[in-house]
Formats: sequence, C-alpha cells, structure tokens
Amino acid sequence: MTPKLILAVVLTCGVLAAWVRLILWSRSAAREARGAPWRVAVLLALQPVCAALLFFCLFPPGVRLASGALTIATAGAPASATGARVITLPEAPAIAGAEPAPDLGTALRRHPDTRRITVLGRGLTARDRDAAKGIAIDFEPAPLPRGLAALNGPQRVAPGARFEIGGGLSRLSGATVDLIDPAGRVTDTQKADADGRFILSGTTRSAGLTTFVVRVRSGGRVVEQADVPVQVDDGAAPRLLIMAGAPGPEVKYLRRWATDAGFAVTVRTTAGGGVEIGDAPVAVNSGTLRGFDAAIIDDRSWAGLGAGRAEVLAAVRGGMGLVLRSGGVPEDGAPAQWRSLGFTVSGSGEPVAIALPAATDADIARTRRGIPAPDASSDLDIDEEFLPEIRRLAATPGGDGAVPVVRDAGGATLAAWRALGRGRVAVFTGIDSFGLTLTGRNDLYGDWWGTMLSTVARPAAGAALAFAGPAWVGDRVALCGLATDARVEKPDGTLTTVRVGPGAGRCAGFWPTASGWHLLRTTSAGAGEQVWPFYVQPADRLAGVRAARDRDATLMLRNAGPARSDAAVRSPEVPGSPWPWFFAWLAAAGGLWWFERSGLGRLTARP
Amino acid sequence: MTAAALISRWTGPARRRGLLNDALLFAPIVLALSVLAWRLAGLPVGAAVLAVGVLVGLIVAWRRAARFDRPWLVGKLDGSRRDMEDSSELLFADPGTLGDLQTLQRQRLFDRLETGSPDALAADWRRRPIIAAWAVALVVIAGALLWPRGEDRPVVLSPAAESLPAVAGVPRLVGQNLRIIPPAYTGLPMRDEPRLDVRAPQGSRLEWTLRFEPEATVPALVTLGGAKMALRRSGDVWVASRVLDASFLYRVDAAAGRGPVPPLHRVDAIPDAPPSIRVVSPTESLSHVTEGQRTWTPVFAVTDDYGVAANARLRITLAMGEGENITFTEREIALTGSGSARDRRFSQRLDFAALGFGPGGDLVVQLIARDNRSPGPQEVRGPSLILRWPSANQAEGSGLEGMVTTTLPAYFRSQRQIIIDAEALVARQGRLSADDYSQRSFVIGGDQALLRARYSQFLGGETEGEPQLPTSEAGAQHTDDDGHDHGPRQAAPTFGVVEDVLAEFGHPHDDSPAASLDPETRELLRQAVDEMWQSEVQLKQGRPDLALPHANRALNFIKEVQRATRIFLQRVGPKLPPIDPTRRMTGEREGIASRRLPLAPVEAGDGPVAAAWRALGQGPEAVRGPVVLDALERWIGANGDRLPDALALSGAVDAVRRDPDCASCRQRLRALLWTAMERPTGDLVRRRPADDAGARYLGALEGGG
Repeated sequence: MTPKLILAVVLTCGVLAAWVRLILWSRSAAREARGAPWRVAVLLALQPVCAALLFFCLFPPGVRLASGALTIATAGAPASATGARVITLPEAPAIAGAEPAPDLGTALRRHPDTRRITVLGRGLTARDRDAAKGIAIDFEPAPLPRGLAALNGPQRVAPGARFEIGGGLSRLSGATVDLIDPAGRVTDTQKADADGRFILSGTTRSAGLTTFVVRVRSGGRVVEQADVPVQVDDGAAPRLLIMAGAPGPEVKYLRRWATDAGFAVTVRTTAGGGVEIGDAPVAVNSGTLRGFDAAIIDDRSWAGLGAGRAEVLAAVRGGMGLVLRSGGVPEDGAPAQWRSLGFTVSGSGEPVAIALPAATDADIARTRRGIPAPDASSDLDIDEEFLPEIRRLAATPGGDGAVPVVRDAGGATLAAWRALGRGRVAVFTGIDSFGLTLTGRNDLYGDWWGTMLSTVARPAAGAALAFAGPAWVGDRVALCGLATDARVEKPDGTLTTVRVGPGAGRCAGFWPTASGWHLLRTTSAGAGEQVWPFYVQPADRLAGVRAARDRDATLMLRNAGPARSDAAVRSPEVPGSPWPWFFAWLAAAGGLWWFERSGLGRLTARP
Repeated sequence: MTAAALISRWTGPARRRGLLNDALLFAPIVLALSVLAWRLAGLPVGAAVLAVGVLVGLIVAWRRAARFDRPWLVGKLDGSRRDMEDSSELLFADPGTLGDLQTLQRQRLFDRLETGSPDALAADWRRRPIIAAWAVALVVIAGALLWPRGEDRPVVLSPAAESLPAVAGVPRLVGQNLRIIPPAYTGLPMRDEPRLDVRAPQGSRLEWTLRFEPEATVPALVTLGGAKMALRRSGDVWVASRVLDASFLYRVDAAAGRGPVPPLHRVDAIPDAPPSIRVVSPTESLSHVTEGQRTWTPVFAVTDDYGVAANARLRITLAMGEGENITFTEREIALTGSGSARDRRFSQRLDFAALGFGPGGDLVVQLIARDNRSPGPQEVRGPSLILRWPSANQAEGSGLEGMVTTTLPAYFRSQRQIIIDAEALVARQGRLSADDYSQRSFVIGGDQALLRARYSQFLGGETEGEPQLPTSEAGAQHTDDDGHDHGPRQAAPTFGVVEDVLAEFGHPHDDSPAASLDPETRELLRQAVDEMWQSEVQLKQGRPDLALPHANRALNFIKEVQRATRIFLQRVGPKLPPIDPTRRMTGEREGIASRRLPLAPVEAGDGPVAAAWRALGQGPEAVRGPVVLDALERWIGANGDRLPDALALSGAVDAVRRDPDCASCRQRLRALLWTAMERPTGDLVRRRPADDAGARYLGALEGGG
C-alpha cells in the first residue's frame, strides 16, 4: 500500500460519505431549505472535484518535459564558454554567468530535463563518469597541457634488474627526458622522438620500494618532473635444470651465473660414451621435471633426449619453462627443432655477430653499476668502449604467438617465446654469450638470461593485485582481485579498512589522502598476511597524464552512450509542482464553502 | 826608497778610500737582494744570495783595487800637483839611466814630494751614490720585512652557522674562521674560509680560530671517529691546527657534551693527481721507418694539477736482430721540458746512427715523468711507442697478415720479358729466315697468351673469348656468369708456375679473386689485358714489331696497377678433415667416468645497507621510529674503500641518529644508501599463475582450438 493509494482510498471514502450525507439531508430537509435541485447537484459534483484536487496537490502528477541540454565546464574549459546552460564543475575555471555545481550528478538533479550534455575542457573526472552514463555527451577535448601525457613504469622489477620506463609528451618537440635515480643522479637521458615518445631505462638494487624521477627538459628549462614508483621484488629463486650435449664455456658460465644468483641449479653435461659431468644425475621424467621451474637445453642434448622430449614438453604444458639454445653448430639442427616447437624460423642459420649496445657515458654507466663486489680487484677497469664479438645463429624465430623477449642493439631477435599449455618455451639464438662475462659485460649477460628465465620460468604462487595505472590524492583508486576486506596502510602508518564491493572483479574503492607508498594488507587463512604496495601521486603531479586519462574515459563514454534519436528517447517524467493544484483545491474548497453558505439557488431567503 | 815602496805608500790611502767607497755602495745592494730573496724564497735562498753577493763583491773589489798602480799614481801626481811639473814619471825611473838634468829634477821632485800628503790623492767620498743606494736599500729591506705575510694576516671571524638553539649558560660557537695554508709546492695562496666545511689540497695546514659565547672552558674539535683535537686559548679566541692528510668529519663541541649536539662539518682532502702523459706525435703507437728517415722525434705532453717536474726521463729500448737472435739494449736519457709548469712538453730527437738502430730492429721509447709533489713526487710512465724498421728480407708481416701477397710483380716481370724477347727478335730480323722469324714470334705470342690468361683470371675471365684458353675450365655446368671462376687448375708447366701459389695452396673456388679488386684496378687490368690481346695477335701473326707498342702499353698499365694497389686475396680458413664418426669413443677409456663438479656460489650481498635502506623507506619493513644503524656503521667502516663517498654516508648516518624524526635527513641517508649497494645479479621476477579463465584459455590454445 503506497501512500498514494491510501490517500486515494481515504479521499474516495470521504467523497462517498459526503454524497450519502448530502442525499440524506436533501431528502429529509424541507424544500425551502433544500433549494433548487441543481444546487444539490452542484454540491454533489464539487465533492469529488475537491478530493481530486487535494490528491493532486499532495501527489502532483509527473510532467513530461521537453528535452534540454547542459554545457558542463571541466578543467581546462575556456573562460569564455557559452552554451545552453553552463555548469562549472569544481575543477573548471571561473566562468562568468555560469552555475557552479559540486559534481555532475547534482547538476543533473538540478536540471532534470537534461538529455544531452556538452563537455568543455579536458573531460569528466572519475567522480562524474558514473553520473554521465545514459546521457548523450558531446565532447571535443581540449588540448592536453604541455608535458608528460603518458608515463608507464614497470610493474615489478627483480633486484638488480634493468627496467624500462616508457612515456609520451604532448605539445613538446625536441624535449630531453632524464631519468633520475633515487640517489639523485641522472641515470639515463633520451631525446623524445618526433611524436614525443621516449623509453628510459634504469637499474635497481636490493628489494624494496623506491621512486625514480622522470624529468622533462626543453630549452634548458625543466618542464615537468614526476615520480615513477618502482617496486623491487625479491621473487623465489627458481630451480633450474641445465642440459648440454657437450662441455663448453657457455654452459660453464651459465651455471656460474645461475649458481651465484642463488638458483638451485642442476647441470647435466654429457661427454659422450655415457660419461656425464656435472651434478648428481637426474632422470628426465615427469616426476623429476615437476621439481624444476625452468630447463635450459642445448640442441645436441635435445636431439639426444629421444623419448624424453615428450616428457619435457608435457612438463612445459604443466607450467615449466623451457629455453632451447644452440651449441653453435649448424649441423645440430637447432632451427629444425625450433620449428618443431611451433616457431617459424627465417634466416640462413649461419653464425653472425650480435650488435651490442654502444658504451654509455661514463657517468651514466657509474649510476647503473652497483658498488664493486668485495673480492673484485679495485684496478679492474675494463675499457667501456671495448665490445666483445658475440655471435648468434642468423635464424630469427617468429610465427603466430611468438613474442620476442631479447633483442640486440640492432633490433634482431635473440630470443622469443611462445606459450605451450600453461608453460612457456623460448629459443635463444645466441651461441657464445659467455663472452660477455669475460669482458666485463656481466650486466648484459644477466639482462639477457634473467629476462628469458623471468619470462618462461614456472609461475610463482601468489595472486596479483589488480591496480591499474597511477593514482592521485583525492582520486578514487580501485583495488581489485581482493578475496576479503582488506586494510590499507597509509604513508603515515594509519590503517583504513576497505570493503570489497559486489561484482566479479572483487574490487574495493579507496580515496587516498596522502601521497606516497601505500600498503594493502590482506589476511587469508591459507597464505597468512599478504602485502601489496601501490603508489599514490600528489594531486598536482602528472597533470597531463591525468588529463589524458580523463579525456580518454570521457571519449569512451561518448562512444559507449547509445546514439539515441530524439524519437526513441522518452523524455523523462519528473514530479510536477503541487502549488497549482493547491491553489485550485483552495479555490474549489473555498467556492464550495461559499456556495453552501450563500443563498444562491435557495427557494427562500434565510431568515 | 824603492819604487814599489813609493807606490805602495802613495797609493795606499787612495786604495783604501776606493775600497771603502765600493763597499759602501755595493753592500746595500747585496743586503737588499738577500732580504728580498729571504722573504720570497726562504732563508736558505737568502743566505745563498748573501754569500754569492759577498763573493762577487770581493772579486769586484780586488779587481778594482788593481787599478791603483804606477801609471795611475804618475797621472794623479802630475794632474794634482803643480810642483811635480809633469815629470813625476822620473820618481820611478831607474837613476842609472838618467842624465844629469833628469837626476837633478828627480832629486827636486823627491824633495817636493814630501811637502804633500798621500791622503790628498785619495778620491772623495762618493756621498751621493752611497746615500742613494742606502736609501733605496733601506726602503726595499723595510718593505720586504714589513710586507704582510699571509700567515700573519689577522684573522677575521665570520658568524657561526651552526643553527643551534641558544641554551642559557651553555657555550656555543659564535665566530669561526678556518685558515687553509696549502703546501708550498702547490703554489696556491693561503685562504680564509668563513665556513667550516672546506675542500683543501692534501697536506695543507688547517688552522681553526673559533670564538664561543659564553666563554667555553674545554671546547674541542671532535672527529666522527671520536678523536679529539684540543683547542688552545689565544686571547678571546680558541685556535687549533692540523695537517690535512685525509678527509674527515668533525663537529665543534663547545660545551663538552652539554647542550644540543652541533652539526657535522666536512673537510675534504683533494689528493694531488699524478701527472698524465699524452703522446703528441706520433699518433700511432706503432710506426714504421720511412724511406730515408734518419732521426725520430717523439713528442710528449705532460700535464699535472700543480706542476710537472722540469726533468723527465726517456727510456729507450732497442731490439735488434731477427729470429731467435735478438738483443735488447736499454738506456735512459734525461729530457728537459718546455712550456708552463702545469703543461710541459718533452721531445727528443733520436738519431738512428747514434743509437745503433738499423733495419730489422724495434725502437721502443717510454717517457717517465714526475710531478712536483713534496715530499715524494709522483712518477708515472707513459705509453710505449714503437718504431719499427722492417728488415729487407723479412716478409711483410706473418701469419694471418700474410694473406697480403705480392703476386703482381712476377707477372709484371714476365710482360717485360716478352717485350725484351720481342725486341731481340725484331733486332735479329735480318739474320733469320722468314719462317724462323715468324715461328719464334709465334712462340713469344704463346707466352703472351698465357700471361694474358693469367691476368684475365683476376677479372673473372670476363675478357676471355676466342680462342679458348687453357685457363678456362670448360664444362657444361659452368658459364662465365655463374658467379665465380675456377682458377687455373692446371696452368702451363712452363710458365708462371712458381708464382701460382693461389692455385697451389689456396682454394679459389668460393670467390673470384676479382671480387677483392676495386673498380679502378679492374679497369686498368682490363685495359692491360686488351693490349696483351692485341700484342698476342700481332705476335702470332709473325709481326713482333707491330706487337711491341701494344706490349709496352700493357706493361704501362700493369705498372699503374702495381703502383695503385696491392691485391688482397680472400682469407681462407683452415679446412679440417671431416670427422669420422665410426672412430669416436674407440680409444683407451680407462679412468674416464662420470664426475661431479661441485660449484659453490659466490657470497654476495649488502645486508646492513639494504636492511637500513628498507627500514628508512615506506615498504612493509619500514621503521617509523628510530632506526638501528649500528650494523650499517660497522659495515661502512669495513667497506669504506668500496663506497663512492663513505664520509658523506657516515655523516648522513650521524644526522639520522641525532634526529630520528628528521624526514629530510632520513631521505638523504636513503639516497646515499642507494649509491652504496651492490647490484645483485640474476634475480628473477616470476610471473603469477594464470587464473581459472586464463588456464582454460591456454588449454584451449594448446588443444588446437
């Protein structure tokens, strides 16, 4: 029973009661008192009118309004904006004659007839985007501010690893972009290309949370400077199986590198005639392979595996990583083996030199190295300009689903991987990469092999926090993939509980109030407490990136909104004003009262 | 009275006066110079100047005293005394040789002589020059003595900048000055620093002058390590001094531990850099003796931050001989540099004949230079420069370099031989029968054909045509444009066999030798071959006289080729015999078994640094209160030589320890810790496992869907 119905019933009863009373009274009353019959009829007729007017006064009928348009000014809107009705959102500049509104939802409630909004400026922020759904949007984005328009840092980086930061600049040509390490030293300098894009690289140290700084310079002035969060994660060391068909320097230095890196390494080198050199012999079967996270196998031992190949491939389908490398002898048929794994191979297959990156500036190289190891001789000063001759097979792996993972300085693919079941298999075309370690380029050696093994090795247990992109103070952050409610530790150490909302993404919303590293802590029965860090930028940083995000999201809204024609859209029904009904009821009730009291229609005058 | 006694008596006063005059004039000059030298260059130099001055003065005086001799006396007596009547010469004449009149006159002179005094002959005092010299000298001496010396300059205190809160009754630093007196050899002036953080050359003397308010009782300078330097009271200020031998951090402890802890100051010692040697000429480290060269002049430039010693040594090593019979001689010669003290040039003209350097020898020179550091100048050795004199009978290089062959001269001689033969034949034309003549001409024409074929080979056989030449390996599967030629497999046994090393030892099948020729050479060779072809035609037709111009032109072209270039042949790798798989693993195999090769990982890590770095950060291991830094401090002490700036790190640790809540101090320490970490190798970021949907997707991919 809605109030409306109750009122209707009460009013109907009232009208019926009034009618009954009137009829009874007119029957019983004297003819003089009764007056002319039309008088009774008027009285009877006016009862439902008054009741109906009272009803509509309390529940005024909805009105269908003609479609209206609003102009919404957002950040970067021109101050001279004119339009149908201009609403300024908080981030918009002051516009003369415009109506300020705290958010878009408020503006739409104030202007219920709005069916189309024209967005001026850089676009709607996250706050307003939900409110804008279902409304036709006209949006011509304002140009982005000068400076960084995109900045993509690494998700997680291994300790000591090299990482890359990509980005784009808007309305800046010929700008120089520096990457400044946490110690305040410039660790990379690049010129942005004609489109304003750049890629910077740096190196990490021990595990922990840190920030690098990207600095954009143009014409000798710093245009913009922004922090790039870098999360250095100490992953579980993999268990590695290295198989080689013959002893050689490549397998020797691979074993040395992996052992020093703390991997559990098992090396099986066959020397012919059933003689094996290395660690305790392991049989190649599904049981033993389950104990390895990655296997590096050369072409000769791969050919000699025989039935073991199927076991290895089965293990790869179960998640293990496999790297096939070549021993450098074309007759061993490495390219044919790669083809059998689903790669296409192009090139002659002859050994050719790898283009190594040119030596960097000495100051920059110093920032990329750590301090020397305790046992490193202090006078080991390898000439930075010396480049060893490292070769590869001139066979480029490719094909559907193959992803290049290591490239040389000339752009040639040195390694590519493709998925095989839940595991991954990679091929490495280099044949004497050990030469890098002998000539002081351990960094490049570690970079190549570390990247390959990171890519293919069996996944480590644990879930990832779905946290997309930069976050700003005062801007809603969506933290997804949460099993239960979680707590966020702010930079000052206070804890806030976030609730997981409904939906498949299992997301929680969080409104940061301070910039810096935040820690999302979850507790689950199985895994104990897990900590996921995420970084919040100060509200005034990366304005261009934020503007680009708002612009893109608003453009998506424009495209996502149905291109509805006016005919197809029923104009919204809004509650009408009760005041006309009230006055009508007052007039009717007053008229009724006056008519009943007056002598109009009475047969005799009242004494 | 003898003449000598007479001279001695009458010149004595004049000589004494002259000596005194000279002494009075010379002494102020010597004194002024000595004082100047003493003030500018120190006491030893001053004393040396004085000694030398006195010695020079004595010698000059002695020489000047010798002028008072008989002629001087005679002239002086005649000039000054009228009663001598211009005949004082008679006083010293031998009485036996005089006439009567002269003797009489002499006697008269002797009588008159005594009426005067020898003192009258003495020169006057040279008052004006003497007074002037003494005045100037006194001014110079006074100036030198009174000129303010650096170290005596009054100290002007600057206000202290310790930014410490004032506590009543606790002394605090209000005035400070740090005087830096660099070592004399640097030539740098003394300077006063208003700040207590300075950089100064190593070996400088540091002098602190500090004022405290209220007056301190036992102030001290305390280094970060805990060592104390006592301050000495001097009037209303406190002073301390120390020789800067290594960088250090210190603080001014005014109140002996009471009151707030003052900030750290840093003194950096700038070590004297060793000199650096650059070779100006020659530009290559290995150079060769050119034709007619008799001398060699290597030039070195030596730079240093303060000064290069003017003398350097050039070590010359001479290696003479060939094969196993090489003798080495080594010697060093001293060089004197030219140019400013900081950038000197050393060069030496080495004469081959004087050194005994000849063909087949190597001359190696190396410059050994020093800087002017005192004590202990730093000595560096420059790069070795080699001058090689190739011996006449030594092949150009050896081993892999030997791929450069000089095959063309052999061919070139052959063409000349053809010309000689043809000219001889033409000369004997009259004496030979027509048949014989044309027969011999035909033989020469055959040689010419062979030679032409040999040259054609360098052009890939492209100029070959009719007639079919023996160098062309006829075969159905080969055509002229199949990308290679096949070399002269058999060649003529009579001609050019010795030079035919290419076919004998090489394997020219892969690439045409023509591929290694540049276009100009190819064109010249082609023209030579064309001319040979004409010459061959004429010779075979029995007309050697008509062939000769062509043959000569061919020779000229070949000469041009020889001048233009050498022919580089393709490098040919060793061709190993194929492996015979059936023989593998068939030998003795005793003692060959599977082996374990244990491998221990290298211990690495920067534990305390990384731990402190994480504790100061914002991660899960962050410590918001005071961070325990003892382990880090011990680590810095033990690993200081590996760090780029251990001192700054120690200072930052101290700052954080003093004020654990200072956010900027923590940030600075964290930034410095980044520079103090090793870069770990080989750590991986493992990917996360696919979720259910991802696993299904991957499975579907694998299933061929």
